Amino acid sequence: MNDNNEAETTPSASPPPHPTIQEPLPENLGIRELFEALLRRPAELARHKVTEGRSALTGFGIIAVISILVFGFVLGTFAYGDQLWAAPVKLVGGMLFAGLICFPSLYIFSSIAGSSASAAKMGGLLAGMLALAGLLLLGFAPALWIFAQGTASFGFMGFLAIAAWLVALAFGYKFLRTALRETGATQSAPLMIWVSIFLLVTLQLSTSLRPILGRSDKFLTTEKKFFLQHWGDTIDESLVASPQKKEDKIEAKSRSGRGEQQNPYNN
Amino acid sequence: MVTVIGFALYGFTVGYWRSPVMGIFVAMKMPLLIALTLGCNGLLNGLLGILLGSGLGFRQSLHALLSAFSISALILGAVAPVTFFLAINVPSADSPQAASAHSAYLLTHTFMIAMAGLIGVVRLGKLLESYSSSRTVARSTLAAWIAGNAFLGMQFSWILRPFFGSPRLEVAFLRDDPMKGSFIEAVWGSLERIFGGIPIQGLVGIVGGGALILIFIYQIRTERKKRKP
Repeated sequence: MNDNNEAETTPSASPPPHPTIQEPLPENLGIRELFEALLRRPAELARHKVTEGRSALTGFGIIAVISILVFGFVLGTFAYGDQLWAAPVKLVGGMLFAGLICFPSLYIFSSIAGSSASAAKMGGLLAGMLALAGLLLLGFAPALWIFAQGTASFGFMGFLAIAAWLVALAFGYKFLRTALRETGATQSAPLMIWVSIFLLVTLQLSTSLRPILGRSDKFLTTEKKFFLQHWGDTIDESLVASPQKKEDKIEAKSRSGRGEQQNPYNN
Repeated sequence: MVTVIGFALYGFTVGYWRSPVMGIFVAMKMPLLIALTLGCNGLLNGLLGILLGSGLGFRQSLHALLSAFSISALILGAVAPVTFFLAINVPSADSPQAASAHSAYLLTHTFMIAMAGLIGVVRLGKLLESYSSSRTVARSTLAAWIAGNAFLGMQFSWILRPFFGSPRLEVAFLRDDPMKGSFIEAVWGSLERIFGGIPIQGLVGIVGGGALILIFIYQIRTERKKRKP
C-alpha cells in the first residue's frame, strides 16, 4: 500500500531519522496517490493544483462512496433483509446530500476564516474530508460487524455507529482545517461552527432517513422527528422485542423497583 | 510465533484447572483472541497510526502491536509453569470448595494478565515515543490503539468464552450461540441490576455533554499553545 514510504523492517529496528525529506507530489495523482496524500501529506495535497480539478473530486468521491457503502452494508447486517441494500444506499445518499447542502456554508465560513480557496478547490477539499471520514468508517466496519451480530439493542448499536461517525468526522475536520490553513485561513472558530452545523445535519439525516438500523415495510418514513427525540424513543428498544418481551421488561422493572434481584448468570 | 507459543502455554494452564480438555481449548483460543482482534482492527490501527502522526504505516503499526503482545506473551509464557503448579494444587472443579477455588483462580489470572498487559503497553509506549515526533503524538496514538483494541478484544473474549470454565457449566470450546449478546451489554445489565435501573437517556446526555465540553477545552488549549511565541 505504501511501498515507497514504509520500510519493510519491524519497528523494533532503529527509528528513521526525523524529519525525512519527501519528494513533491507528482503532477497527476491517481486514486492510490490521492489516498496516500490524504493520509500522510494533507497540507501538501491542499497546495496541489489537483484539488481544484475534477480528478480529485472524482477520486475522493469514489473513495468516500465505496467506504460508506461498505460501512452501510455492515450496519445493514444488524437487521438483515432489505436493510442490506437500503442502509448503504441511505448512508451514501445522506452523505452526498449533507455535503451538497453544507457546501455553500463551508465556502462562506472558510472565507470568513481567511481562506482564499476557490469554490472548485473547496469542493475538492470537502470531498477529501468525506473520503477520509469514509476510510475511518471502513476501519471501524469489521469491529461494528462483530457487535452487529451479537447485540439486538438499538441503543447500543446506534451508539456504536454514532461514536464511529464522530471519530471519523473529527479526523475529517482535522484534514479540512489543515488544508484550509494552507489556503490562508487563520481562524478556526468559523470552521468549528461549520463542522458543528455539518454534524447536526448528518445526525438529523440519521433520523430523516430512518430506518437505517431497524426493519420497516417502507423505505422511508414521512413522520417528522428531531433526532434527539427519535433516539430517546428507540434507545431502549430491541430488534427482537415482541409484545410478550415488552411485558416481561415491564415486569422486570417493577420487580427491580420492589428490590427483587435477578441472577445475571441465569439469563 | 513467540506470541502464539506464549499465549498457548499460558492458556493451557488457565483451562487446565477445569479439565485438561479445557486447557487445550484455551491454549487454542488465547492466540486466536489476539489474532482476531489485531486482524479486525488492522485497518483502523494503521489509519490511526498514520493520522495521529506516529510515523508508522499499516504494516509497522501491526508489527508494533504484535511486539507489545509478544512481550506480554513472553511474560505469561514464563509464568506458565507457576500457574500450572497452581492449577494442580487448587481444589479441583468437582470438590466442595470449587466455588472459592474458582474465584481465587480467576483473581490470580486476572492479576497475571493485567501485569503482563501493562508491561506490554509500557514497552509499546516507549517504542512509539522513539518513532513519533513528540511525546503527545506517541501518547495519543497509544491511547487510540488501546481503546480500539480493548473494545473489540472484550467482545472477542465474550464470543470465545469460556476461558476459565465455571465449575457449574460443561466443558466446551464455545458456549451455545456464542455471538449472541455482548460483553458491554452484560456489564451494563449487571450495573442496572446493582443500581436498580439507571436513567439511560440522562447518562448518555451527561457523557455526550461532557465529551463536547472536553473537546471545547482541548480546542481552546491548543489555540492558546499556538499563540504563545
